[in-house]
Amino acid sequence: MTDLARTSTINETFDAAANLELRQALRPSPKLKLSTHGLEFHYGRARALRNVQLDVADKRVTALIGPSGCGKSTLLRVFNRIYALYPGQVARGEVLLDGLDILTPDYPLALLRSKVGMVFQKPVPFPMTIFENVAYGIRHHERLSKAEMEVRVEAALRQAALWDEAKDKLRQSALGLSGGQQQRLCIARAVALRPEVLLLDEPTSALDPISTSRIEQLIDELKRDYTIVIVTHNMQQAARVSDNTAFMYLGDLVEQGTTETIFSNPSMRQTEDYITGRFG
Amino acid sequence: MNELHDHIVKSIDEEQRRLLGELLRMGDMAVAQLEASLDVVERRDDRAAERIVGNDEAIDALEHETSHDVMRLALRGPMARDLRELLAALRIASDIERIGDYAANVAKRSMALNLAPPLPQVRGLTALGGVAARQLRDVLVAYRDNDADAAEHIRARDAELDLQYTSLFRELLIYMMEDPRSITACTHLLFMAKNIERIGDHVTNIAENVWFRARGEDALPRRERRDGTNAIRPPPG
Repeated sequence: MTDLARTSTINETFDAAANLELRQALRPSPKLKLSTHGLEFHYGRARALRNVQLDVADKRVTALIGPSGCGKSTLLRVFNRIYALYPGQVARGEVLLDGLDILTPDYPLALLRSKVGMVFQKPVPFPMTIFENVAYGIRHHERLSKAEMEVRVEAALRQAALWDEAKDKLRQSALGLSGGQQQRLCIARAVALRPEVLLLDEPTSALDPISTSRIEQLIDELKRDYTIVIVTHNMQQAARVSDNTAFMYLGDLVEQGTTETIFSNPSMRQTEDYITGRFG
Repeated sequence: MNELHDHIVKSIDEEQRRLLGELLRMGDMAVAQLEASLDVVERRDDRAAERIVGNDEAIDALEHETSHDVMRLALRGPMARDLRELLAALRIASDIERIGDYAANVAKRSMALNLAPPLPQVRGLTALGGVAARQLRDVLVAYRDNDADAAEHIRARDAELDLQYTSLFRELLIYMMEDPRSITACTHLLFMAKNIERIGDHVTNIAENVWFRARGEDALPRRERRDGTNAIRPPPG
């Protein structure tokens, strides 16, 4: 390489770096998919959430962390109104999904459930075949031909990174899958309905490290298409997989921010004590 | 800032205290090495200089130990101030190790200096070294006390050191032009002065890390230009 060529390569490198900085500065801030305003939640008389203002960015992973009983799972359960199945559980305030309040009685529950999918801590496949597990939910919402259904099930299993392992045993019972595979099947079941928001409630707490890595890799891929809210007790996991993190304590949302800021330099003392494992 | 709570896992506190203790010990050794090297320059003592060069190994060994401690603490997945503590410790350890190298270099060159008649500028060098040693001592106290304000102050004071270095540089240039026989000794002295000026830069790095560890992402305000010797041109003729 001549000196001249070398100089021009260096200049290009620096120009590219300057451009990147400019592009990053100009990139629009992500739109809000979900936000809560003055959200309160009661289990009978007990108040589980107090004036929660949470912002969930579109196509990003938001982690909810906090000690047991802080209200993070409750908050997740508000987002698809699953709590409404139980008497005595009441949510007040506003929860906006794409700008519409899902807590108002006239927000159609079927629409909400198709927009917001949920995966729980323990994988609970239905006692039926792998194929039927995924097809079951789709049949509730849509009428598809056999061929169309096969395409949808394959797509969902591929999205959940389970296709290669499951394609030869689609007609076998889902209960024969390993724990990690079962959890990915539950994710496939959720994404089969093409939701927009995916709620994950401690999705890897019952899994071994390899299965956990698979799910975390999956989360990374899924955020291209979905907005993800994950509840986790594992701080390292929150730091690994999420873009934004919210810390909750005794029903209060103490602090929310980018994951990097929360885990390197949180502004609230309570957050710092919790994430560094100190006595509160 | 109010008192920090202890970790629920008590051994984390113990390991952190040990790491801090090791770094402060390393720092004290670097101060001692620097002061001893200035002393041997003044006293023209070759044997003492050799001892200083040999002592540097002990600082290197301590740096190894601190990396082990950092690694062990890192395995615990530290967050927030614990994470910053580790990052700062790792960087501060390498700064102190470099400072030790520079101090040993000064001692080593003093032996070459002793082959020629004494130079009057040696006093300028030891004065420069005295400023650097005070800076180093102060920044170690700031590190021990987690005192970001003191760190900022120390960092600003590096400009003083740079100014003194630049004036010594000028003085030596003029001296060499007047008496070319002094060139060898003066060149050694120039390198020694540069070593001390670099020690000042590492003290500045330490100060920045003390700030980072205490305050997180907040950047320190920009500092004015430093070593001005690159602007010095040879006189015409």
